[in-house]
Amino acid sequence: MLEIRFHGRGGQGAVVASELLAQAVFFDGKVAQSFPFFGVERRGAPVTAFTRIDDQPIRLRSFIENPDVVVVLDPGLLRDTPVTEGLKPGGLLLVNSPRPPEAFSLPLGGRIATLDATGIALGRKVGTATMPVVNTAVLGALARATGAFTETSLERAIISFVPSHPEENRAAARDGAEAVRTEPVAPSTVAPAPAPPAAPLPFPEGPMASRPSHVLHTSSWRTLRPVIDRDRCTRCNFCWEFCPDDAFDLDAEGYPLVRLSYCKGCGICATECPPDAIQMVTEA
Amino acid sequence: MVFKVLSGNGAQAEAARLARVQVIAAYPITPQTTIVEALAEMVASGELKAQYVKVESEHSALQVCLSASALGARTYSATSSQGLLLMHELLHWASGQRTPMVLGVVNRAVAPPWNIGADHADTMSQRDTGWIQFYPESNQEVLDTVLTAYRLVEDPEIRLPAMVTEDAFYLSHTFEPVDVPDPETVDRFLPPKDARAILRPGVVSRLGSFTGPDHYVGFRHQVAEAMDRVLPKLQEVESEYARRIGRVLGGPLVGYRTEDADAVLLTLGTTSTTARGVVDDLRSSGRKVGMAKLRVFRPFPVEAVRQLARTVGRIGVLDRSFTFGALGPAASEVRSALYGIPSPPSVTSFLSGIGGRDVGPQDLRRVFEALLVSEAPGPRWMDLETSGEVAAHG
Repeated sequence: MLEIRFHGRGGQGAVVASELLAQAVFFDGKVAQSFPFFGVERRGAPVTAFTRIDDQPIRLRSFIENPDVVVVLDPGLLRDTPVTEGLKPGGLLLVNSPRPPEAFSLPLGGRIATLDATGIALGRKVGTATMPVVNTAVLGALARATGAFTETSLERAIISFVPSHPEENRAAARDGAEAVRTEPVAPSTVAPAPAPPAAPLPFPEGPMASRPSHVLHTSSWRTLRPVIDRDRCTRCNFCWEFCPDDAFDLDAEGYPLVRLSYCKGCGICATECPPDAIQMVTEA
Repeated sequence: MVFKVLSGNGAQAEAARLARVQVIAAYPITPQTTIVEALAEMVASGELKAQYVKVESEHSALQVCLSASALGARTYSATSSQGLLLMHELLHWASGQRTPMVLGVVNRAVAPPWNIGADHADTMSQRDTGWIQFYPESNQEVLDTVLTAYRLVEDPEIRLPAMVTEDAFYLSHTFEPVDVPDPETVDRFLPPKDARAILRPGVVSRLGSFTGPDHYVGFRHQVAEAMDRVLPKLQEVESEYARRIGRVLGGPLVGYRTEDADAVLLTLGTTSTTARGVVDDLRSSGRKVGMAKLRVFRPFPVEAVRQLARTVGRIGVLDRSFTFGALGPAASEVRSALYGIPSPPSVTSFLSGIGGRDVGPQDLRRVFEALLVSEAPGPRWMDLETSGEVAAHG
């Protein structure tokens, strides 16, 4: 059995990727099981999805703790999510990134593969310019890097089940397969220092959040950030008014200031801004 | 102490007044309406210093109460039947958020067909919502139970909501003398709510946010643990009530002539009173029977029922509602409580009084006679013999 864990953000297609993968595996004549785990169901929030592939009926219905393959759809997740936790020694880490495999590390050894799926999705116009949907390009790369399912079946699954722009998605999958670069990684000679055990926190009395929202910096969800052109801004404060996360302050002159530690990059401010003074730009 | 002739609904309203509730929100429904009418008049006249919040539904009524409770206020609402069913979602919120309050529920049949008679289906279908449930048999017991319930639910170790029920019409609209304690005595028993508010002005915090699988189970377990503390705490509260007010409520299961009984009938609510008389009649003709009133259904008094079962050959359980596909709900609980005890008594599920059917001494005599001749598990529907055509009213 091959176990794959996807890490993405709401809206990037991680869950759909795992479903398409199950369909492709089924077309190959194998058994597949795909399922998502959501926290808060919102665009931009971290999302995990799991896929199992086997020749036999799968007798497990639980999370994948020790995957053979970890797929990361958003390289930004590497900053704050332990995506490789539990990855088997010798396993594969596939990252959507324009950087080469050598830019990443895998202390237990294995293989690292990278491809610029965002660039492919933008080029094939899959998703939008501000929210490219990278899942099909990543699946093409996954097929090539693992050989666990055929690219023919993947394309058949895309054509059969992707509701919007199936041809462009098929092209993105082909591009992904061609673009992926895989490099073996030797285990680190320096044993990784074991993480100090976290001190257990007392369980709260009653279902009260101990940290109110003003100290929760939810900006790690953000894939786009608003940039304000002060020359066009008329200080109408529509952005301040419409922001669902109260992420705007006003400076002494009444111009809006974005508090980026709360901004989730939803883009409502840019949509509502009468003089189009706000641009949503991709986070580096 | 002053005796007043009160209906059960009047006793609910008097108790809420004596408890000095601070926020009341309710939506009228037969046969509960006179409770909230009485409270509205008390607030309007200034007799009760409380905020009376008018709402458009029972769902909103409970939301108002549990939000006010989160802010530290003592709150009261009352409903019945379909109104309680509409509250169902928020019943879970009240217990899960640990916002204590008391809810008066006039037990009324659930439609269809429409029926406003006494029936426990409304509250029995809320038994898994994390609420404490009391089933009093008299207007005096209604008043005493509301007052003790406030002291119980506001205890920092409990912080759960409670329902105090009344059988429709048999209590809600029945007038009888009630010994109403004077307010100063009640104040000593029930001081102002410990303002251990969950939400406090000036302290930024969040209630009702998302919790993942890692912590959700912990909060559910806290509710379970609080529920486990209810019966020991109730004993303390009732002792204090007896000391201050002078009335003994008797705990969750109140037996009557159960010693050396061959057969004991468990009852909830008003059938308890009639059953006691029938027990006396049958005892005087040499039949060794007894009865026990199940005052508290949630948490279910497992130990008290097991204790009773040690000396009894047969137990009948008289339910005023039915769990389709199973038994009477109290009968199911009694059976479950007795699992594993050595030589357990038989348990027979009897159904009587459904949809307001009258339960008189002759009906209960038939129940006892059936119990004395048979250990069949039931369920036995006692009220199916009817005459004439099916009448569709209204």
